[in-house]
Amino acid sequence: MANKLYDVVVIGSGAGGGTLSSRLADLGADTLVLEGGPKIDTRTDFNTHALPYDFPFRHIPTMRPGKPGFDGERSRGLGGKTQLWNAVALRFSQRDFKGRQHDGAGENWPFDYSDIAPYYDRIERQIGVCGNYDHLEDLPDGIFMPPAPMKCTDLAIQAGAKKLGVQVIHVRKATLTRASKTRPACHYCGNCMSGCDVAAKYNSLDVHMIPALKSGNLTLQQNSIVYELAVSDEAKVSEVRYFDRETRAEGVARGRVVVVACACAQSVALLLMSKSSRFPTGLGNSSGELGKNFIPHITGGFEGFLVEFIGKPEANDEGFLDHAYIPSFMHDRKRDYPRSFGVQFNYQNHRTVGWARGIGGMGKAYKEAVKARYPAYLTFTGYHEMLPNPDSYIDIDTDDLDEYGLPKPRRHWKLHDDDWKLHNDMKRWCQAILDASGTEIFSNAAAPVTNHEIGGCRMGTDAKTSVVNEFCRSHDVSNLFVTDASVFPSSSEKNPTLTIMALALRTADHIADRLQKGEV
Amino acid sequence: MPSYSSDRRSLLKIIGAIGATCAYPFASDELFGQTASAANRPLPQQNSPARFFNEDDFATVSRIADLIIPETETPGAVGSGVPAYIDLVISRNTDQQLVMADGLRWLDGEAKRLLNRRFIELPEEQQISILEPLCEAADKNERRARNVQFFALMKSLTADGYYTSKVGLRTELGYTGDMARAGFPDCVHEH
Repeated sequence: MANKLYDVVVIGSGAGGGTLSSRLADLGADTLVLEGGPKIDTRTDFNTHALPYDFPFRHIPTMRPGKPGFDGERSRGLGGKTQLWNAVALRFSQRDFKGRQHDGAGENWPFDYSDIAPYYDRIERQIGVCGNYDHLEDLPDGIFMPPAPMKCTDLAIQAGAKKLGVQVIHVRKATLTRASKTRPACHYCGNCMSGCDVAAKYNSLDVHMIPALKSGNLTLQQNSIVYELAVSDEAKVSEVRYFDRETRAEGVARGRVVVVACACAQSVALLLMSKSSRFPTGLGNSSGELGKNFIPHITGGFEGFLVEFIGKPEANDEGFLDHAYIPSFMHDRKRDYPRSFGVQFNYQNHRTVGWARGIGGMGKAYKEAVKARYPAYLTFTGYHEMLPNPDSYIDIDTDDLDEYGLPKPRRHWKLHDDDWKLHNDMKRWCQAILDASGTEIFSNAAAPVTNHEIGGCRMGTDAKTSVVNEFCRSHDVSNLFVTDASVFPSSSEKNPTLTIMALALRTADHIADRLQKGEV
Repeated sequence: MPSYSSDRRSLLKIIGAIGATCAYPFASDELFGQTASAANRPLPQQNSPARFFNEDDFATVSRIADLIIPETETPGAVGSGVPAYIDLVISRNTDQQLVMADGLRWLDGEAKRLLNRRFIELPEEQQISILEPLCEAADKNERRARNVQFFALMKSLTADGYYTSKVGLRTELGYTGDMARAGFPDCVHEH
């Protein structure tokens, strides 16, 4: 079937590729998904409910014995990172899309909140998002199932934050608090990030792609690592070149449209690896912007013990990890930097106790100190936006090859003055909220850490300063699309996945429309 | 989710960066420059799995682990299989093997200096009084001394091994998280 011409070839099966491919298949487009990693059976392949003492080294492996998957960033598995994500599902606000209008920094998105809102509605209906209607300007409400109750420990943080005028809300997650027709409700085991074996938590394989197989228009091809997109004289992607993960046998796929959805750095790397005489610095890189404008989320984390809970009996509050969230609250406060931050907290579970080695003392007193703190332990991590700068970009290292002989993507990032001001203020606020909540601080991250990867393939209206247009189509290559967080012109402080999915739906509709009109 | 780089967690990197010259494994007899009398050796365990540590070192490691996490109303380190866990981890880490070798040698040297006996032969109070200053230095993060690194490593391994064991996680801490629940309960406390 190597020469079959699909309507659409999608590279990657996570939040972007899974959402987009299933929508296109439902709309009648003959769609092939190439996934670098293996086939996954969500119900049987993960060590979802394992405990550390089941393993000699006490580390819980992601996959069960003999089940391949998630062994590298080019080889995850069907469903991609949605299999292991924490499911936080937040809408970006109008201010997030037009940050430059508000504080003069960074870049605007080429569309408004009102343009993407219908797609947020649709994706929330499809995947099921729980949350509370909080009526916040900077965190728009969506279409919600009821939230899960906050944990006792969340309420302690909420009371402390309230003293500072800071609001703590129910988290919004793509995890079912009520059963749907096809998926059970969450059973609150707290192992969401170990692969949800009942798919109460959204993953793109079980919720989007497997149901879309019924259309007869969707083909899932796992173990296919794409290494190059070849380009024709008409500046179109002519061939998607891949090899088999296990046998290394080479293959070629062809599509009228090709969509790259390999999760930010991998998408950028694939385009950078696809050099040709026409595009000598990477596919679709006439602007020279490919890889630039890398703007990952920056975090500052704390661990601590809520004093109120030290010595209390242990209660099972694994839940679905974090049940509460501190949304951005700095936009309307006086500050000397652009943008803002939010805080995710209480997202630990209790089946590992890595902090115990850090409690002081020895003997009976030590043992008692650990036991007393076990019900009181919590994580508390601020996430903030960073602005694009020339020191932050993705490239590929042709001297550092992965297990498949392909160059590894390299992430370069450096905070500039405004980012540092934001970072330091976020840390001050986090500490203040923890203090006001009566928290014994256990650890305070010494340096900023990157989290969600965003940027590198920026969307914009000007082909000289961006790589793709507002429908995620390459300015240079008319049948090439990119749908993941690499296209975000600005990151917000909010988790990117729901926006990746809404954007993927919008892009799918656009592609289907162009296919129907014969424009590709 | 972020992974923190707290000082305590970078301990192993620090340990790895500090060079040491002696090789390990070796017989403790060679290490101490003396021959322990056969009567003082712990009896070999029947059907015990192949171990990295020799019997003397395993006994000392077990003793220290049990001083760090002793038996109380619940079992301690030895009662939850921590020594075997430490043995397994150390068997795979050459940097940590060096720290262990130096630390065990130092302990017996100190015991000999104070009471002319091996560490394992000292009364519990004496053992604790040798370890406590190391524990305090480790807690203050004063980790330049080799014997403090040794104690910090022993404590990390003991804590990891204990609180990931069935005894540590369930009996001691009371973990009950691995159950399917029909719903998540509302908090009934006042906050």
